[in-house]
Amino acid sequence: MDTFFNVWHYDGRSAVRRKVEIQTIGRQFFLLENERRHGPFSFSDVEYVTRKENVHVYGLADVDGWRLMLSGPVPSELSELLPAHRKYGGWVDRLGLGKATIAFTLASAAAVAVVLLSPQWLAPLIPSSVDKKLGDALVGDFGGRFCSTPAGDAALKKLVNSLDSNPQDLQVEVAKIDMINAVALPGGKVILFDGLVKQARSPDEVAGVLAHEIGHVREKHVMQALLRQMGLAVVLGGVDGNSGALVNNMLAMSYSRNSEAEADAHSMKALGKAEISPVGTASFFERLSELDGSARSGDKGQGIAGYMSSHPLSRERKKAFEKSIVKGKNYKPALTATEWTELKTMCTQDRKAKSGFGFDFE
Amino acid sequence: MFCRIFGGNIVMSEDLTQRHSAFRFHGSWQEFAKIAFPNLLLSIVTLGIYRFWATTREREYLWAQTDFIDERLEWTGKGMELFIGFIMVFLLLGLPFIVIQLISQGLIFRGETVIAGVITLVMFLLLFYLTGVAYFRALRYRLSRTYWRGIRGGSNDPGFRYGLSYMWRSFVGWLPIFLLVPWSMISLWNERWNAMSFGPHRFEANADWKPLMKRYLLFYLVPFLLVAGIITMVIVAAASGDQLGAVGGAGMAVGVVIVVIAALSLYIILPLAALAFYSKYFRLAVGGLRLHNLEFDFRARAPDWILFFLANMAIVICTLGIGYIFMPYRNWKFFVDHMEAYGDINIDELTQSKTIVSKHGEGLLDAFDVGAI
Repeated sequence: MDTFFNVWHYDGRSAVRRKVEIQTIGRQFFLLENERRHGPFSFSDVEYVTRKENVHVYGLADVDGWRLMLSGPVPSELSELLPAHRKYGGWVDRLGLGKATIAFTLASAAAVAVVLLSPQWLAPLIPSSVDKKLGDALVGDFGGRFCSTPAGDAALKKLVNSLDSNPQDLQVEVAKIDMINAVALPGGKVILFDGLVKQARSPDEVAGVLAHEIGHVREKHVMQALLRQMGLAVVLGGVDGNSGALVNNMLAMSYSRNSEAEADAHSMKALGKAEISPVGTASFFERLSELDGSARSGDKGQGIAGYMSSHPLSRERKKAFEKSIVKGKNYKPALTATEWTELKTMCTQDRKAKSGFGFDFE
Repeated sequence: MFCRIFGGNIVMSEDLTQRHSAFRFHGSWQEFAKIAFPNLLLSIVTLGIYRFWATTREREYLWAQTDFIDERLEWTGKGMELFIGFIMVFLLLGLPFIVIQLISQGLIFRGETVIAGVITLVMFLLLFYLTGVAYFRALRYRLSRTYWRGIRGGSNDPGFRYGLSYMWRSFVGWLPIFLLVPWSMISLWNERWNAMSFGPHRFEANADWKPLMKRYLLFYLVPFLLVAGIITMVIVAAASGDQLGAVGGAGMAVGVVIVVIAALSLYIILPLAALAFYSKYFRLAVGGLRLHNLEFDFRARAPDWILFFLANMAIVICTLGIGYIFMPYRNWKFFVDHMEAYGDINIDELTQSKTIVSKHGEGLLDAFDVGAI
């Protein structure tokens, strides 16, 4: 078959450019260059490489650098035998840009939904032994910072027993760290920081916070958060840099806000069952709201801060705890005055416990 | 400004008379937009996964619009290669690093700060080493996927030794209060390129670092000069402020002026000095490069770089960031427009490269986000 359009060929062995004509014989072809004949080559081995303006470039399977370059009107008998042009790459070319966009959007939304929702179903499936091992590996003896006195331990135990019906699989400790905080960790570990216990004005306040952390444990929030964070890291790993991290944080945060509300609900229920007044916890949040500024900020700013921060605003939580007060109910104090003093002074009494974090030298 | 090519059955000598650069770029931003916008769309809806194929499409276009003497370049890399590279890095590095971070956090909790510190230091050193390897492998990958007249480049060196070199040379560069950075940059460039080849020919890189020192000192001294200047101005202002104090806010006004000038100098003079240094670095580095009978040159000087960056900033800002997707186009065009080659190529001698072709792409590089050249 003689052709009038232009055909160039590189054999991949040297950079010599050859002006050739294509001679088609069935599913095979030769390249004729003056008196030389290259081939035979099989059409089934021909691959589309790229387009250089109006020149279409083809390669040959397993022959490095072999090129067939066509320009001008390619005869239809020939173009039928050549592979299709590639534009976006595999799937997108097959579906078309519009349909591919819709398909990818749906797939991405499904992937994110699975990652956000599945921890709720997956977390209970993780055996408690794994959970416990993880907690032990993470916390250990907390660098010797746990405070312990016989009377203080007894007071703490009484508090835990009144707030939870299965206290044997919880490990509640007070750590000698001067921060107003408490954490729930894997393996049913709850750590109250001494700073929180010291500034509390009544044992009822500590009870509310403790019940909140126990709520995190009981609702399997800790494992859920771990799984969710891992899943998001995988799914959003494809998004580069800051945008991925931002989306990740927003998703993780808005979700943990939900968990916080659940833990609060758990806390109110536990307090009610133990007949401990939620007034203390409400006043604790009242003081906290002065610290985080939510009491002072206007309504507009509050909405944004409330959405972005992982803890619901202290003021809103205060209101929720106030609402849970049952009028006329005969509340008892969470601990007796002696027990409360023992718990409060536990870390001062225990001189063996190390204080602060490893990096400050108190 | 010419390049001669002979051998084969055609002898090209027209370039002798036309006297244009051996490298020419024929692309247009309108055409590039038709690639860049769908790329952006597809990258968004795939949560970023399409970006490997997006990069590939952009390179295919940019390479195909680039003439070297009498034939366009060809990019044969595949999106899947880049994707596999990324997945490999994620599995081999990302996951272990997450685990190590968890462990070291646990150690800090337990008060084992020394061990946690050691682990963090080892992690940092490993990352540093891998950054060096990544630079090397990115260059190797790009050369092995670049074809001209059916011939490609590459290297048989996996780059693991270069990683070590990268560590110690960078360290030596920083040791004398960062004064040997030009030496480390140039010697690393030479080491990288000396391991590369195109067709049967090895690149030779013999750039000299000493001519770079003057520009480097300029950049190096700018902060000191600025601080000295500001201190002098503050003293002067304080002296005059005593008298002006009675007049009212005039002393304040002087203070504001000083702050504005200081900020401007920091944000304008320092980047300008950095660009002046980088322009000289790139000119020297490319100028020291040879491939058989070909010599290379990069003609952009400091004002060209400055204009280039100002234009880039203007484009990104005026388009509210969308213009960012044109940056690969702008960078490549700037590079090709200023590249120059002199000498002869014997087409008969330019045979296929025998270097190995790795099946995965710039994984490491992509993970650390560094450029190849």
